[in-house]
Amino acid sequence: MRGLIAYAFFVYHRIAMSETHPIDALKALEAEAMAAVAAAEDEHALEDVRIRFLGRKDGRISAILRSLPTLSPDERPAVGQEANRVKQVVSAALDERGTALAAPKAAAGEDLTLPGRHPWKGGLHPITQAVDEIWEIFRDLGFTRARGPEADTEWYNFVALNTPLDHPAADEQDTLYLVDSVLLRSHTSPVQMRTMEKHEPPIRIIAPGWVYRRDTYDATHTPAFLQIEGLVVDEGITFIDFKATLAEFARRYWGPDTQVRFRPSFFPFTEPSAEVDVKRFIRHPDGSTEETDWLEIMGAGMVDPAVLDNAGYDSERYTGFAFGMGPGRIAKLKHHVDDLRTFFDNDVRFLRQFSK
Amino acid sequence: MNVSYRWLRDLVPGLDLDAEGVAEHLALRGAPVEEMSSPGALLGDVVVGHVLTAGKHPNADRLSLCTVDAGDGVKSVVCGAPNVKAGSWYPFAPVGAVLPGGVAIKKAKIRGEVSEGMLCSPREIGLGSDHSGILEIFGDFTPGESFVGAMGLDDVTMDVEITANRGDLLSHLGIARELASDRHGEARLPEIPGDPGIELTWKQGAPEVEAGGVRIRIDDPDLCSRFVGVVIRGVEIGPSPAWLQEQLRGAGARPINNVVDATNYLMLELGHPMHAYDLGRLAGPAIVVRRPRPGESTFTTLDEVERKITPEMLMICDGERPVGVGGVMGGLDSEVDHRTTDVLLECALFDPKSIRSTRRALGMSTDASYRFERGVDPEDIRDAVQRAVGVILATAGGRVDGPALDVCPHLFEARVVGLRLARIQQVLGVPFTAARVRELLSPLGFTFEGDGEGDLLIRVPGYRSWDVTREIDLIEEIARTHGYDAFPAELGPYRPGTVPDDPMFQLEDDLRRALVARGLFEAQTPAFVPEGEGDVRVSNPLNTQEPYMRRVVLPSLLRRVERNFSRGTKDVRLFEIATSFRRVGSGEAPAEESHLAVALTGARDAPHWSAPEQALDVWDVKGLLEDVASLAYRGSATVVPATGEPGLYEAGVTFVVRDGAGVEVGRGGRVRDGLVDAPVWAGSVWGIELKMPDEVTPVASPLYKPVPQYPAVERDLALLVPDAVPAETVLETVRRRTVELLEEATIFDVYQGEGLPLATRSVAIRLRFRAPERTLKDKEVDRVVQGVLAHLKEELGVEARG
Repeated sequence: MRGLIAYAFFVYHRIAMSETHPIDALKALEAEAMAAVAAAEDEHALEDVRIRFLGRKDGRISAILRSLPTLSPDERPAVGQEANRVKQVVSAALDERGTALAAPKAAAGEDLTLPGRHPWKGGLHPITQAVDEIWEIFRDLGFTRARGPEADTEWYNFVALNTPLDHPAADEQDTLYLVDSVLLRSHTSPVQMRTMEKHEPPIRIIAPGWVYRRDTYDATHTPAFLQIEGLVVDEGITFIDFKATLAEFARRYWGPDTQVRFRPSFFPFTEPSAEVDVKRFIRHPDGSTEETDWLEIMGAGMVDPAVLDNAGYDSERYTGFAFGMGPGRIAKLKHHVDDLRTFFDNDVRFLRQFSK
Repeated sequence: MNVSYRWLRDLVPGLDLDAEGVAEHLALRGAPVEEMSSPGALLGDVVVGHVLTAGKHPNADRLSLCTVDAGDGVKSVVCGAPNVKAGSWYPFAPVGAVLPGGVAIKKAKIRGEVSEGMLCSPREIGLGSDHSGILEIFGDFTPGESFVGAMGLDDVTMDVEITANRGDLLSHLGIARELASDRHGEARLPEIPGDPGIELTWKQGAPEVEAGGVRIRIDDPDLCSRFVGVVIRGVEIGPSPAWLQEQLRGAGARPINNVVDATNYLMLELGHPMHAYDLGRLAGPAIVVRRPRPGESTFTTLDEVERKITPEMLMICDGERPVGVGGVMGGLDSEVDHRTTDVLLECALFDPKSIRSTRRALGMSTDASYRFERGVDPEDIRDAVQRAVGVILATAGGRVDGPALDVCPHLFEARVVGLRLARIQQVLGVPFTAARVRELLSPLGFTFEGDGEGDLLIRVPGYRSWDVTREIDLIEEIARTHGYDAFPAELGPYRPGTVPDDPMFQLEDDLRRALVARGLFEAQTPAFVPEGEGDVRVSNPLNTQEPYMRRVVLPSLLRRVERNFSRGTKDVRLFEIATSFRRVGSGEAPAEESHLAVALTGARDAPHWSAPEQALDVWDVKGLLEDVASLAYRGSATVVPATGEPGLYEAGVTFVVRDGAGVEVGRGGRVRDGLVDAPVWAGSVWGIELKMPDEVTPVASPLYKPVPQYPAVERDLALLVPDAVPAETVLETVRRRTVELLEEATIFDVYQGEGLPLATRSVAIRLRFRAPERTLKDKEVDRVVQGVLAHLKEELGVEARG
């Protein structure tokens, strides 16, 4: 009776074995081999694994490949393909593990708290970053960029902009001259006239660029600085569009809770003219909030009809608005830089603070 | 302009704003207050002290021991001032007082005597720099009363910023009018204390008026449209009364004497610059308003400066010679002084442009010229003179002699400006009725012809005749008085503009981003440079060290590298895109180009513990130069070793960039030794300067090429290359001889040194071959390689290394 049971078990076992398909057996063998590769702690152990699975004589995978001719012609191609695949996978894993084990010992059991490798970090100048941020907002509001020369004539810098040279307004920007009536532009407003001369309305541009004044360097003045001009001209542009566009800009730049104030002012080339002030509402990370004082951010106004006339536009038909702001001043306010000269010093320890 | 708050309150009795409120209000009317100051602000603790006795300190020669009545009892005070005397009044800081600068007064024992407070010098209470003695004050005081109150120091001086168009605001009355118009009060002139109320009689004419032997004549009516003179005899020159001095100080002016103070008072109150001549020192006595005669080429002004005068200037002269520069400054010789008894008071109208060119030519600006340049009220001249005479009579005595002489070649006529209601809406976006316009503009002094509902004809008051001349000027007044904040700010639809985005901006942005990604910092440097770095000179530079506009940008960056070195920074990688200026011809605007400059020094890579540091070398700079040139010139530029004059760079380590047409557009390399002031620990400095293209070529869209389907075959060549043969030539020959199958040829190693024949180096090149339609056979590739080797040997003398 016992013998019978033993026999039955034997028969059962045989049947179970024979019913394990050779492909499944290969997959099991692959898993076993991969685990053995991973477990090999040194190159000797890895070599043992290679011999055990891929050795020419006794390797278990090699054995299956050798036994292919004994299989039925139906089975042969599929099993052969799978056996080759397993051989390649295991072989690649052996190579990879071998490379890893052969690498300098520093890599193994290494101290992963050591710093990682970074390339040098660079960065845009903080004033360029301000120009870019301002440009991106105006781009979204349908503006394009225009440029004009930095050395320009009295006509473009003053006269065409309704600023007679014998008017005190021409003094306010004490101007650097090159020769005769050629000067270094004291504002970016000459680009207004140059753009209108070349293009028909609608005009919707900003013009970033360097401007020059006869100033000495101090905390709030530099004889050269960046300015961004803006000009919109079309039929039906009103004081409402002027206020709305600049208030929209201010809220996008300084935050949605920003208050915007328009104060009457005077520029010969705009009328009515305004100074635009913002009062920021800052939420600090610790939950506290802060309201700033009014900060003057730009001069602006409706384009004076005399300027449109000088550009050859019909000032009875077209109206518009213009504005000018200093991205240096804006960057100064934004980053709490107390001296404009710091921006031109270009100390890399300063510039690095604005790296992104 | 300095404005006294108390003065404004006197002019606008209904003013219900404090100084802060006035400042806020003026800001919203276009005249922001820059600064407010009050001389008495920090002196609240100081009282008026009466010194009862002053005796010698028993233990110190230079000190006095005094008793001071300070209101709340008699104090014992030790005083170090030489001028202390019994019976006099002084500012007294009692125990517990805090003085400007934070000095706290404590009870103290000085050389054995108790001191219960301090008698103060001007410096101690911030009223001046004098510290030689204590400040004796004169007047009718009560011991212990507030020093600030007793001295009239409780005023607030506001520094109001007046825009160039608003000459009418350069006076207290002008500011008061602006305030009153909105507060529904009215500005009115307060009575002058002691004014006898004499009504002037007038004698008007042109070009000359004469009365009582005094003659006034205008020879140049274009530059002086009116000149009013009044003779006052028997004045007594002396200090002004306290009210006048206080008033002037509150407005930031310095009292001088009663007659001069009276003219200054009127200028500050009404905006009319006036001048008083010593009649006894005027030849004639006469005033002639004319250009200088030949021979009249210098003139000494009140400030004792001898100035050059030219025929374009307008002079005020007596019967013989100039006595003043019209509208700018009086002369030293006819100045009123303590001996003066008879004066001639002047109030005139000068042409703003002429005043401006005169005072610019003289290199000066005075309170008078500042106002005349911006335009004074041409309408109220007689009222102003009447009031000035009242102040002089009240403060200096005397009597008016004869009628006031009013020489008036051009009588001012008020301007009438038309205003269309539709135009207001076209500009402001909001409709305004005629009634609303009247409501807004009337308080400012504008009057209306007719009372219709439609378009308007508006008469401009004299004091606004300079800035309100057109319809748009009236529209601005409407917007300003309506209040800018009262307009809606709804964003409406808009049409896109016709101006394309200038592609140079995008190219510059692309370059900036590429350089930042490579670890460089963008710098910004002003374009002014010293001689030698540019050929465009500023004709009126303020900084004479840097009077040129730069032709090249790199030196500006090198100075920043130096500055970083001086602060101990070893690794500096800067770039800038900036304008270069080049002289093209005399009298012409310079040519401008956009340049990219790069300056690099230090380690190639950020330090890491895994590898030793390597310094930047020539291949870093060459690679960078190739990359930026390729980006800027869309792949058409070439970078080749420089020959000839290397300029800013070291010979033999310099490259030249040429554009597609072969024109040099840039350079790069190792910056010449000695150009940068470098500390011993600093590494080599590398530089690049690349001109941006004149036109930005659009980037062509890449056209798809199928990725290779067939395997490649690689071959490595180890070549012995004579030193005279450039690597580029070897590569070029290889490429030329393998055209069809060669995919890529890369130099992967260069070796120089032992084991090689003399004057040769070993260059290893990896060749990758591929055929698009088939798998290459080894034999076929070997044949090509053999062919290449044969050609290399034949053409260049390059052999395969054994």
